[in-house]
Amino acid sequence: MSILNSPQKPRRTARSVALAATVLASTLVLAACSSVAPASVTKTAGPDTGKEIDAITVALPGSLSNLYPGQEAGILNYYLASAVQEGLVSVDASGKVQPALAESWVQPDPASYVFTLRADARFQDGTPVTVDDVIYSIRQAQDATVSPSISYAFAGVTGLEKTATNQLTITLAAPDAAFLRNLSTAGALFVSSKAFLEAHAGTVGTKGGLILGTGPYKVASFSPDTGVELERVDTWWGGTPKIKTIHVSFIPDEDTRLLAAKSGTTDLSFNVPLAQSGQWEGLDTQRVQYVNDLSYVGLNFDTTLAPFDDVHVRRAISESIDRDTIVSTLLKGHGRVATAIPTPESLGESYNVADATALLAALPQNTFDLDAAKAELAKSAHPDGFTAEILYPNTGPQLGNAAQSLAENLKKIGITLTVTEVPIEQWLASIGDGVHGLGFTWYFSTTGDPGEVTNYLLGAGNSSHYSNPAIVDLLAQAQAATDASKRIDLLLQANTLQSADVVDAPLWWGQSATSFATDLGITDYSSFAFTSPWPSLLYSAGEVK
Amino acid sequence: MADVVTRRRRPAGVLLSARTPALRGLGIIAILLVLSFLIFSLVYLAPGDIVKNLLGPKNTSPEAIAAVRAQYHLDDPFLVQYWNWLSRAVTGDFGTSTRNQESVSAVIGGRAGTTLALCGLSFVLAVGTAIPLGILSATRSGGRLDRTISAWSVVGLSAPAFAVSLLLLYAFSFYLPLFPGFGGGDSPLDSLYHLVLPALALAIGLGAILVKLTRTALLRELNSDYVVFARARGLSPRRVTRIALRNASIPIVTGAGLTLSYLVGGTILVETTFALPGLGTLLQSSVLFKDVAVVQALALLVAVLIAVIALLTDLSYALLDPRVRLAGNR
Repeated sequence: MSILNSPQKPRRTARSVALAATVLASTLVLAACSSVAPASVTKTAGPDTGKEIDAITVALPGSLSNLYPGQEAGILNYYLASAVQEGLVSVDASGKVQPALAESWVQPDPASYVFTLRADARFQDGTPVTVDDVIYSIRQAQDATVSPSISYAFAGVTGLEKTATNQLTITLAAPDAAFLRNLSTAGALFVSSKAFLEAHAGTVGTKGGLILGTGPYKVASFSPDTGVELERVDTWWGGTPKIKTIHVSFIPDEDTRLLAAKSGTTDLSFNVPLAQSGQWEGLDTQRVQYVNDLSYVGLNFDTTLAPFDDVHVRRAISESIDRDTIVSTLLKGHGRVATAIPTPESLGESYNVADATALLAALPQNTFDLDAAKAELAKSAHPDGFTAEILYPNTGPQLGNAAQSLAENLKKIGITLTVTEVPIEQWLASIGDGVHGLGFTWYFSTTGDPGEVTNYLLGAGNSSHYSNPAIVDLLAQAQAATDASKRIDLLLQANTLQSADVVDAPLWWGQSATSFATDLGITDYSSFAFTSPWPSLLYSAGEVK
Repeated sequence: MADVVTRRRRPAGVLLSARTPALRGLGIIAILLVLSFLIFSLVYLAPGDIVKNLLGPKNTSPEAIAAVRAQYHLDDPFLVQYWNWLSRAVTGDFGTSTRNQESVSAVIGGRAGTTLALCGLSFVLAVGTAIPLGILSATRSGGRLDRTISAWSVVGLSAPAFAVSLLLLYAFSFYLPLFPGFGGGDSPLDSLYHLVLPALALAIGLGAILVKLTRTALLRELNSDYVVFARARGLSPRRVTRIALRNASIPIVTGAGLTLSYLVGGTILVETTFALPGLGTLLQSSVLFKDVAVVQALALLVAVLIAVIALLTDLSYALLDPRVRLAGNR
């Protein structure tokens, strides 16, 4: 079924890849909803009154220290930059790639793209966007020392050429089906002007340098760890949004955020903590909306570390996970049991959510069955069980709860699992460190690319130190595939193979909750909304009839 | 604290001779040097990986990792890294924050005002209420007022700062919307307004300690022979209290100085709850990010502050106790 019930004006969204880990300070909320509706709402927003809004206050559940996502790439950085900057392309609410600064593009061959820039695109300082600006922005993004957190996305770029006044040709070393989405703000491209980048070399994104883009809002001021002031501009090619000024406040403490919303001080709160969502839903002043957020949570094994180098051990653990209870009880239904690594939404180029869900559910599963798990363990080199530890990040308490539930079940088959909370930075460092054989995968994809998470978990340099020539071959074919359906088919074959080897046991696909003031509505709310120029989606809502 | 003991053991003149501040200064420099090495080692050894924090947990190419490691000289031996930091730090260059990409002095400078104002305000609040309450409590020892003050100071002492913060937020920002609930304010006056609740949250714990200290110190004096004698001579109770208070002031000032040092650490929780951009939260995030340049500079700044507070406390003895002053002049 379609995610987009009422197609509005042309939307752009971004695609990108950001790890859950990059959520750093933010409390990622995962919520599940029906596999059919992409977003669920506790109250409905009133109709659009068409009125101008003077100012709104937005609460971010964490602090930003730099506004340039190339330097700091937490999900909150993506939200903020997406209001200010744009890429060549965008991702729409259904997950399809759409034009942004490029009005069109062609692929003369699978490894090259020719983009034609829009004639009406201008930066917030009034200067027009030129091919040179885009080339310079990409070169800056490619440089790991200037843009450490996004340079990965441009590693395959071998050529950047101005082939006409308004035409840019990008050449890749090899065809890469995932590349196009990287050129959006959900991915890794935040176009700025060459003059600006040169004038602010070394200070882009800081308090003194700020950022410059082509989006509907410019940054008026930025105080690291305090907030950002966004002002509407009249240079955006997409039109003029309704809200004049947006005060963005960084409020790390969840109770303070709740109180601020309760007293009506804030109008929009990102990433409402799942454990607190009930309290938010009870506020008269707020409306909570849930959306599948393209995040994937799995149980990851280092296949080279004992006892997890034994496939029977891995399968026994996977069969000890009571996914249904975790989702229904621990996540309070705000999430969906994951039946594979890619989320249904990420198959949006070829399938609607319902069909994608069915397709993924048909893949082989290691379902919850303690008897089978016990039998599986008996076949392993550790029939009497063993002791292990699992770390989870402090920003993901739901992971800790799931780990406790798993530990309870594992105790019944003779495995003692210790669950330890650590700061997210420490958790990040433990991924694939060769010491921790069992851990969580918590991956927050912003691009919605179907192969993103699968490649991360099974491709070169994966944290499981796992190598399966058949999977490597399938992933290589998928990367080179020009047909979206064919690519998805190859990726699902890779998922089937990994399921037999139990490299990463899927747990759930997550949801995010956003709280809006009752007089603030949003059109086209989707998994991709906040990595597009989201303030342009907001409107002044009237009384609910 | 140590100097109180010193003062009693040695001729008081040693304490306040002209050489003392100089000796103290040398001592502080030595401590800072040792501290900087210790903190550098601890950040180096702490779990976490700055490269992963910068590059994100994606499967990044070895070239990107090498470029970032070279950029921050992470492949240099530990001692070389420390020496590089030290040789720049002595010239006043504390480097660039890896997390913010701004100079450390700009990062700290931008936040120091908030934290200093917060500490100052809560210190004034705590001293301004706790000392009078402590005096009241001591002069009415055993009475109902004394028992009430003592009971409340136990509550204040045991209540964690974040819980008090939340309570104040509910009471004075939500139910009775007198004060803002978060943020640092735009103008100096607005900032002060934003700091009232956080300062109060900090001051409650601090004040409770000071009430206890004042009460104990004053009670001890009030039970001394000279007070009995003064009373026997027919001095007014007010005058007697004043004499006793003057003698009790040294332990009270020492205690207040110590609690002021403690404040610096206590700001983290309060700053987080009230979303204040201060040094406490900066220290916390920098430690987690392994932003060693900021951690080093902050740790040293705190150490210097504590040393200065201790020095000022010692110097204040001369004002409070004529015997110390006289001994210095001998």
